[in-house]
Amino acid sequence: MSKDSRMRATINQKLTEMGERDRLKELLRAKLTECGWKDQMKAHCKEVIKEKGLEHVTVEDLVVEITPKGRALVPDSVKKELLHRIRAFLSQHAT
Amino acid sequence: MKTDLQELVAILKVSMQLISRSVNLLNLLSHHDLSFRFPCSRSTGPPLIKISNTDFQMKMEDMPLSGPDNTKLEALVHDIYSELVDDACLGLCFEVHRAVKQGFFFLDETDQESMKEFEIVDQPGVDIFGQVYNQWKNKECECPNCKRLIAASRFAPHLEKCLGMGRNSSRIANRRLASNNNMSKSESDQEDNDDLNDNDWSYGAEKKAKKRKSDKSQNSPRRSKSLKHKNGELGGSIGSEPYKVTTSSFNQYNYNTGISYESLGPDEVRSLLSTQCGVISEHTKKMCTRSQRCPQHTDEQRRAVRVFLLGPSAPSLPDADTVAESDSFDIPDGQALMSRLQWEDSPDISPTDSASSKASANHSDSRKPKKKKRTSLALNCGGRGWSRSRRRRRKQPDWRLQQQQQLSE
Repeated sequence: MSKDSRMRATINQKLTEMGERDRLKELLRAKLTECGWKDQMKAHCKEVIKEKGLEHVTVEDLVVEITPKGRALVPDSVKKELLHRIRAFLSQHAT
Repeated sequence: MKTDLQELVAILKVSMQLISRSVNLLNLLSHHDLSFRFPCSRSTGPPLIKISNTDFQMKMEDMPLSGPDNTKLEALVHDIYSELVDDACLGLCFEVHRAVKQGFFFLDETDQESMKEFEIVDQPGVDIFGQVYNQWKNKECECPNCKRLIAASRFAPHLEKCLGMGRNSSRIANRRLASNNNMSKSESDQEDNDDLNDNDWSYGAEKKAKKRKSDKSQNSPRRSKSLKHKNGELGGSIGSEPYKVTTSSFNQYNYNTGISYESLGPDEVRSLLSTQCGVISEHTKKMCTRSQRCPQHTDEQRRAVRVFLLGPSAPSLPDADTVAESDSFDIPDGQALMSRLQWEDSPDISPTDSASSKASANHSDSRKPKKKKRTSLALNCGGRGWSRSRRRRRKQPDWRLQQQQQLSE
């Protein structure tokens, strides 16, 4: 398992060092905005805030409410694209 | 029966073993090269690679990584993906939370009633505000001026023309009237270019001068002027014509830049020739009504015309030049040259006051103070029918000559 974790660590390091992680992040953000995911999530946020009251909303509240729904709402095409890119990166740079 | 079944089972077992062995071999092979991918579509038998449980979608490019180690890699891929998605969600949360705390999160919302009022409409035939957009297409309006029924989209331009109040309406009306004048006149001499130039320039001047008067009243004085000119006695009016020409700024209706010499008596011809160029145009057989210094015709032509019309004894060219001219008949070329030089010297200056100096086109007269020159320039250009560009081009030399004169004086 330590091999495994070492491998993970190296891969993560490579990902960050080569700027691939940032690129992937930007790509994901752009795609999510494009497909309307962001607006959907914002609408959901509005509901949550109305529920909890405008004054007393905390970041934690939002995170707890938003993240699971967010994960679920990502469209398949976006997911596929990202997975493909990550795999490509790994196949290129894994030992 | 039993033996058959047993045989079958035995065969199956053997085949299974063979299959498992081949699977192991293949796995071993693929284990060494991670980038090895089976082309799915071309595989002859069933895929022998283990498919990871986490990903059921199989495309050419999305082939999951194979082998036992590779499931770990696949898991890693998914972990990385989840991390990225979580990052995005967190970013959104921060954004929203900040907007809430800063107070601008709900800015695009108002009370429920207004929201409902301005909701986006999504019906056919209607835009998103709920308005019908081609409502006025088929409607017709009655023009208050001409009482005709005009289509709604054409109503505004029609009104412009009809009432004579638009940008181009006066221009078009003038053109129409001018063409009518042309048709009706029988003896109008139209030296084309000159006339067109006249029109351009004089129209511009007229527009400026008569800006404040309404178009309707503008039309009638014009008509009366043009009528006067048409019907008036040419003989009588010729003497005063240069003045008339300048004061009325040679309006578009004055196409009569030529006079037929056949209809005039000798006295008339003489008076005409004393004030005007008089050169007979080849195209129209009419005399040029421009001034003595008309740039279109040379002095030779003028002299020839005078000889032709009045006989060789009395060529009547005005003042200082007449002396020179008559001398030139008898005296050798030197003086003729001199006289011509004098003519050519002053073309820049003289045109400016041809109107005011119809009888006496003196060089000394031409050296007038600036003010007079400018006004006379304006008048003259109307009389001459020079194009604007020409006037501008000449202005400079005039001014410079003036300067030189002033310096010399």
